[in-house]
Amino acid sequence: RRFPDFSYITQNGRLTDFLDCVIISHFHLDHCGALPYFSEMVGYDGPIYMTHPTKAICPILLEDYRKITVDKKGETNFFTSQMIKDCMKKVVAVHLHQTVQVDEELEIKAYYAGHVLGAAMFQIKVGCESVVYTGDYNMTPDRHLGAAWLDKCRPDLLITESTYATTIRDSKRCRERDFLKKVHETVERGGKVLIPVFALGRAQELCILLETFWERMNLKAPIYFSTGLTEKANHYYKLFITWTNQKIRKTFVQRNMFEFKHIKAFDRAFADNPGPMVVFATPGMLHAGQSLQIFRKWAGNEKNMVIMPGYCVQGTVGHKILSGQRKLEMEGRQILEVKLQVEPIAHADAKGIMQLIRQAEPRNVLLVHGEAKKMEFLKQKIEQEFHVSCFMPANGETTTILTNPCIPVDISLGLLKRETAIGAAPDAKRPRLMHGTLLMKDNSFRLVSPEQALKELGLAEHQLRFTCRVHIQDPRKEHETVLRVYNHLKGVLKDYSVQHLPDGSITVESILIQATAHSEDQGTKVLLVSWTYQDEELGSYLTSLLKKGLPQSTP
Amino acid sequence: MEAADEWLLQSLRLYRDLHTFELQAPTRLIEWARGNRVCVAGYGQCDGNEILQLIPPPTLLTKETQGLCPERDFKVECGGFSERPVYSLKYVPDTSLLVTSGPPDSSLQVWQVSAEDSDVIKSVSTIATENGTGQSWAKIATISARAPWVLHGSRLDRVQITEVESRKNVYTAAIQASRGSEELGSLAFLDCNLLLLCCATGRLCLADTRQPQSLVEAVPAPSAPCSEHWCMGTRHAAQGSEPSSQPVARLSSRGLLALTDLRKTSEFLALAKARVPSPGSGAEFLCVSWAPALEGYLAVSGFDGTVHVYDTQSWDSSGKEAEPIFVHKGHIFGGAGGSRDPPLVTVHTWHLQKPRTLLSAASDGSLHVWDWVQPCGKCG
Repeated sequence: RRFPDFSYITQNGRLTDFLDCVIISHFHLDHCGALPYFSEMVGYDGPIYMTHPTKAICPILLEDYRKITVDKKGETNFFTSQMIKDCMKKVVAVHLHQTVQVDEELEIKAYYAGHVLGAAMFQIKVGCESVVYTGDYNMTPDRHLGAAWLDKCRPDLLITESTYATTIRDSKRCRERDFLKKVHETVERGGKVLIPVFALGRAQELCILLETFWERMNLKAPIYFSTGLTEKANHYYKLFITWTNQKIRKTFVQRNMFEFKHIKAFDRAFADNPGPMVVFATPGMLHAGQSLQIFRKWAGNEKNMVIMPGYCVQGTVGHKILSGQRKLEMEGRQILEVKLQVEPIAHADAKGIMQLIRQAEPRNVLLVHGEAKKMEFLKQKIEQEFHVSCFMPANGETTTILTNPCIPVDISLGLLKRETAIGAAPDAKRPRLMHGTLLMKDNSFRLVSPEQALKELGLAEHQLRFTCRVHIQDPRKEHETVLRVYNHLKGVLKDYSVQHLPDGSITVESILIQATAHSEDQGTKVLLVSWTYQDEELGSYLTSLLKKGLPQSTP
Repeated sequence: MEAADEWLLQSLRLYRDLHTFELQAPTRLIEWARGNRVCVAGYGQCDGNEILQLIPPPTLLTKETQGLCPERDFKVECGGFSERPVYSLKYVPDTSLLVTSGPPDSSLQVWQVSAEDSDVIKSVSTIATENGTGQSWAKIATISARAPWVLHGSRLDRVQITEVESRKNVYTAAIQASRGSEELGSLAFLDCNLLLLCCATGRLCLADTRQPQSLVEAVPAPSAPCSEHWCMGTRHAAQGSEPSSQPVARLSSRGLLALTDLRKTSEFLALAKARVPSPGSGAEFLCVSWAPALEGYLAVSGFDGTVHVYDTQSWDSSGKEAEPIFVHKGHIFGGAGGSRDPPLVTVHTWHLQKPRTLLSAASDGSLHVWDWVQPCGKCG
């Protein structure tokens, strides 16, 4: 199986209808290699998002990949050059930290990932819920790229790869030392060093390193950089200068990238010069062009060395020699004996998962792992240190993650002022209950006072009034009963305002008490006690008090 | 950064190979396990110390350096979480167990490593000990001759052998009352019957498990008792030869190195002084070890940020200062430098097959693997 099985995404219906968008994190083939197949052969017409440098570089790598696979290896059922072009037409390029509205609800944002030029981590957001997918990233800055960076975006889920999470990296300085040692030893014994590179990235880094070393050690052997590389690299760096780190930016501004003191432009004739030299040439996998030409000239001498700085696709000379092949079949059935030393350079990013989680503060973490072996230790480590749930589903497995979406509610200033004026200010240990009305209008939530709510909604306030009848045995006239009730209440309810109104009614605070004669029984008086629902408590108390009856002794 | 860059350039000449790593937390132990695995562990005061079993980079696994191995990194094969700081760790041979010890007391923790099933090192049991006053952490050694045993104790009068799986006591060292409660520097199995105990005072004691009532003082302390603290390094005898034929090295916190042949304990095999800074930095991380593949070579560390390699074959008993054959300074130049305290090397160990390869760790969390070049005459 050459390409991923996209039927895992959906079995029903077209991908264009099912997916909102596709995101490509960076130009490495293990991340974009299936893109033209996906969009042109399986069929997807929706938007494809990637950063600007990725959009510029992807088609070049895809074309290279196609050439090697179809022309060199003779594969059929592969995407064509036209398909690559058609695919790239669907690409929408994005800037770092630019919020891109994919549709009404879905937005995405790219973050700097280091790793390679244009690599990004993506935040995907709907409402208050978000997911961050890291792709490949690097936590330590190297000579030409900065370190990955996430703000405290607190996504509900962080999806990242775990394969290298538990690797303890050799320091960059020791890796560089190893590279310098290999180059130095070869040059000291009069050999030639070939370094096949892709136009961007590692080449600049290694150049800066060698330049510094040559200067320091006062070395005389020439270092060459093939011109094709220079032009392409300059072009890309000019376009994407903001993507490289401070150091490169400074050197670029001061002078052209490749005006090194010790590094000169290469001419194909130099390959036949005697004596030691170092040459940087494209392409990086030794599958064609200048680097392959030079390789053929130098391969037969065991004093020479080829340093492979990157990954090589199957079928390329680079891949073959890295696998240990010492006899290669070239064009015209010529056999090339490989006697020179083949040295790969391990270029690895410092993954720093713990650091990334510390930066972003996700609520959950999902680890994608390539190995069947469990990563229980890392899961426990993450859970213990950050108190978040950590998931590691296998391929094809569905994981459900529960989120606690936050719903922001604005509170009206008036309401806030009123509530704080009522009593003591609430503190963290003694929260106070406050009353308000929650209005949900136009996708916003507001907490306002009831009066304000009524006003906004154009509703009239309704008053709820309760009335209770209490029967009292009293044969005297109504106004005498009222007086008795009044005196009784005044005596009992000393903390309340009890009033006898001229119209013959009694008020206790805002509660009204009136007396009428019973329609059928002269000896019974009916007390009507009425109150609004806000005074429910006092009303109920009064009622039960009155039901107990009046004291016998007349005032 | 100047000095660090300078040292790195010099290192091209000084080392065949050099790796520098940064552990999340510093370790004070480096133990070899089956399959060339390496184990390190945290010794911080608070909870959450990790025990890590690491797979070394492929360049370390083979005798010859292979050209086609770009991998230069350690991989964590499995790990465990320890509530207490881990000061000492030993694998129990022929089992999937390991034993650790550390403050606040002299009890031992037993762990299970089953790398094929899970990558978590699980806590299995605790071997409790009676805790008297003045007890610090237990020094440990393991062997699996008759059964999986662990030799442990923090003091001379508390030395015992416990069977790891059953936790049964198998042997307790008997000690004369007058000798009592001397603190132990290190201990070792010479073979399944002979035990060698080195007190912090420098006194060496031999015990035979077949004769439980006798504890023989083999060698007195090399110098008059003062505030020096001692530890020892032993070398495994080759197959077939007598265990006591290997010289025992004792190292003091003042830098004194005493070599003793256990068959002739009345005199020193050799006595020398390592060049160490003074005032000393204490005895916390004193470490001396014999090279497994280089006759007469030993390494010393714990005084500062360096590891010294000595060739003892030219030493006599005069006690004069010895010139190291090689000094590893990498830990001094590793960190961010500046105002922070310079790191202290906490432990070192030799690679079991590659003759000039050592691993060393320091208090700043650094872990170095270095293959030094023999300086005399051979290099071009």
